[in-house]
Amino acid sequence: MTVLSQMLAFTGIDQERLRARWVSSAEAPEFVEEVNAFIHTLKKLGPSPLKAAKGQEEEPA
Amino acid sequence: MSQDTMIQDIKAHVAKLLEDGTIAGFVGLIEQNGHVAPHLFTSGEKLSGFSLGDFNSPGDSRYPLNKTLTTIARAYPHQTFGVLVRGCDERGLFGLFRLNQLRENRVVAVGLSCPDALAGACECKKPYPDALVAGEKTQVPALKQVAQMDGKDLAQRFDFWRDQFLKCVKCYGCRDICPMCFCNECSLECEDLIKKGDLPVEVPVFHLTRAMHMADRCVDCGLCDEACPSDIPLRLLYKKTAEIMNVEFGFTSGLNKKEKSPLSTMGPSK
Repeated sequence: MTVLSQMLAFTGIDQERLRARWVSSAEAPEFVEEVNAFIHTLKKLGPSPLKAAKGQEEEPA
Repeated sequence: MSQDTMIQDIKAHVAKLLEDGTIAGFVGLIEQNGHVAPHLFTSGEKLSGFSLGDFNSPGDSRYPLNKTLTTIARAYPHQTFGVLVRGCDERGLFGLFRLNQLRENRVVAVGLSCPDALAGACECKKPYPDALVAGEKTQVPALKQVAQMDGKDLAQRFDFWRDQFLKCVKCYGCRDICPMCFCNECSLECEDLIKKGDLPVEVPVFHLTRAMHMADRCVDCGLCDEACPSDIPLRLLYKKTAEIMNVEFGFTSGLNKKEKSPLSTMGPSK
């Protein structure tokens, strides 16, 4: 995780887009909270730049 | 120190090792028919044609000799072999000992130091091996490339790497030349992760997968960078991985012989 998130940042991808959390299967509310928080973060960040990159390359040359 | 003296020094050293039976053969470079290639020298040959791999400029003809050595050592597990090493190759040897690919007591390293020009171009952390036979300890050059890239902002970095990664033709040359890549099953060939024959590769998954697998292995020899037909600055990518490993875990691949990888140990050390 430590290495990968920094590598993402190095290649120009926001570190916020990667998240790993440990949640027990007995802790449903925490799981919901984590996922919602992540969704919130992602919505704030907007669509991934990778999506735009993919759109570009599909255009006929 | 001149080229010729270095060649003479190594030849004399290796000839002695071959003569007294310390080693059964010496994995080095040979200059033949206008080319430089890896070669296993045995005692009869008197090391004729031995080359340091400086064909047109210092170190321009390098090969993953450790890879050749590993193949030979597998075929002759009870023999001891010598091998020509630069600083990076020796780091590779230490890594291969750590990963049980070679046995330390079956390998005799014969080292040469790199000239300043080569060390500078490589931004090498240690341009000379411990087993130094020819040449003098080279000055460690200033390290700039990674900091330069870090200095750019996120969007610039993204554009740069996207353009680089999209150039990939998926030839697997970087993996095939890599002296530290030895897995029988490669993640980059796993159909569930990487689709066969699909181009362009998935950005940045393909290249970051390799970078992550290189995290505790890469010895910064730069052969991948030289092998890449699309000139993707792979070395820069792996230099960053190595830097993270060093900052976060105090680990540098192959720098110390006995060092364990922080990625294969669990919990606090000691």
